[in-house]
Amino acid sequence: MNVTIPKTDHELGSTSVVLLGLIVLLGLAILTGALTVSYATYLIALSGMYVLLALGLNVQWGYGGIINFAVVAFWGLGAYVAALATARTSPLGLEWHPLFALVVAIIFSVIAAILVGLPAIRLRADYLAIATLGFSEIFRLLVANETHITAGMAGLAGIPSVLEDLPFDTVTTNLLVVAVAGALVFLFLRRIHRSPWGRVMQIIKADEDLAESLGKNAFSFKMQTFVLGCVIMTIAGVYYAHFIGYVDPTDLDPLETFFVWVAVILGGSGSNRGAVVGAFILVAVLEGTRFLTDFSIFAALSTGPLRLLIVGVLIVLIMRFKPEGLYPPRDELIWPKSQTDTEGQS
Amino acid sequence: MSSFELTYDGANLQKENTVLEVAGLKKSFGGLVVTDDVSLAIESGSITGMIGPNGAGKSTLFNQISGFYDPDDGTVEVNGTDVTGKQPNKIVQEGLLRTFQTPRRLEKMTVREAMLVGAQSQLGESILPLWISGAEVTREERANLERAMELLEFFEIDHLATEPTTSLSGGQMKLLALARALMAEPDILLLDEPVAGINPTLVNQIAGFIEELNQEQGYTFFIIEHDIEFLMGLAEEVIVLNQGRVLLEGTPETVQSDERVINAYLGDM
Repeated sequence: MNVTIPKTDHELGSTSVVLLGLIVLLGLAILTGALTVSYATYLIALSGMYVLLALGLNVQWGYGGIINFAVVAFWGLGAYVAALATARTSPLGLEWHPLFALVVAIIFSVIAAILVGLPAIRLRADYLAIATLGFSEIFRLLVANETHITAGMAGLAGIPSVLEDLPFDTVTTNLLVVAVAGALVFLFLRRIHRSPWGRVMQIIKADEDLAESLGKNAFSFKMQTFVLGCVIMTIAGVYYAHFIGYVDPTDLDPLETFFVWVAVILGGSGSNRGAVVGAFILVAVLEGTRFLTDFSIFAALSTGPLRLLIVGVLIVLIMRFKPEGLYPPRDELIWPKSQTDTEGQS
Repeated sequence: MSSFELTYDGANLQKENTVLEVAGLKKSFGGLVVTDDVSLAIESGSITGMIGPNGAGKSTLFNQISGFYDPDDGTVEVNGTDVTGKQPNKIVQEGLLRTFQTPRRLEKMTVREAMLVGAQSQLGESILPLWISGAEVTREERANLERAMELLEFFEIDHLATEPTTSLSGGQMKLLALARALMAEPDILLLDEPVAGINPTLVNQIAGFIEELNQEQGYTFFIIEHDIEFLMGLAEEVIVLNQGRVLLEGTPETVQSDERVINAYLGDM
């Protein structure tokens, strides 16, 4: 039978246009003196970290429909393993190389994700949400109270910059590291998502019973997704520790988990480019609101609540006018090369 | 003895070339016994129908056979392998696949994406081969795409291949469910009300598809259906389930003329 396989159209570069727009705005802000160069580079580096977090959560929620309210815990796991293993002030006194600490953090993350996932992944979505939130709080309390290991509320300072051996200054190295990490994670996820693996995740998210009835082991696939997402969050945490140079238990506020959810929903669940754009917009809102009180109309207000209010309004607007997010998934989850080959054959 | 108290004695377990064998299957929910000592066997290459009043236990039986419910007692064998209590995905690997009474909507999936999920043992469903065996994944995906398009063409919905599944009508969803099930090339296909709620023309069309698949490609079907005309025209054998027990098994003619079946289910046609 001569079968013609239809091909789909692909939009080009809309994500790049938005990101380019944000960079141009940032450039203009620097040129006009509204922002200093060091603050601008800090913002980009911070956005890079949120990109990693949003990509990690997008794997779990966007691909597999897994509700993880422990984003900050897995991020904190990375930050604390990196800090404890490398910081001068660490009670453990290890002072390892950051790359070695990264490997150890990933191993810890895999173990923690499996331990949390084994009992929790089989739970219905709402119970899973509660279970992960519980884990997140347990982790925060452990870090805050086990002072002989974590230094407790005093926090850990003196965390070295990542890859100090590189011939760049700290700021450039940080930017370079997060850009490379973000790009690698993005490309990795893009390849595995547009594949039979990504398709199975999509059908599990849509209907787990149907996936099982088609011979797919839903639990196994969900575990893979959960572990993968947690590892990406942990990498973001490791980066943060080396980038900021200090961590303490107040960093593990559950609100951080909420912010990452906002980035994913804003960008479009299931879309990697959506997660990237969502993360940049989130940082723009979180950091931009710092300056609102400079305007007389907002002068009497406190920045913190105002920031939350704006994030809340943003989510309501998105849900009302673009519930699928700014950049919803656009590609069919079909291995791209199989269609490229088609062009030559059909 | 009331007609409802008759039980099936398992005589058809003597069939040759059995692909599905169910023995003494029992399931209760609280105090309610939904299937009680159900035994049956389905021969390879046959079309077997199952009828019975609402609440007779037909879908519960399918759920036990396909692994969605654990039976309280009894066994299920597929191709001679005991699959009792196994997970649904493991039972599919043994060659038994089922469809659902209500076609499931698949948000954000196109028709051909939904078709591709039906293919079994895909190399690209594991992460590592996506990196180390890219060429093989490409070949496999290409072959699966071709098979998917062939099946969509067979069911005359190939023009919808790149449409989102959410835009399909109820009848088209039924066709998609059938086509997708065939992607797995199962040894036996359990269809739960495949023509419920669709127009008479499409009912006839689906009957034609099933007949062709059975006669020309040797597919085995076990079908639950309330559309008596559809089922009696297709099935070689019909099993009547009533109050969780097999009331009768026989040819469509035997079943339709049986007084007990008329009283319990068919009424005066």
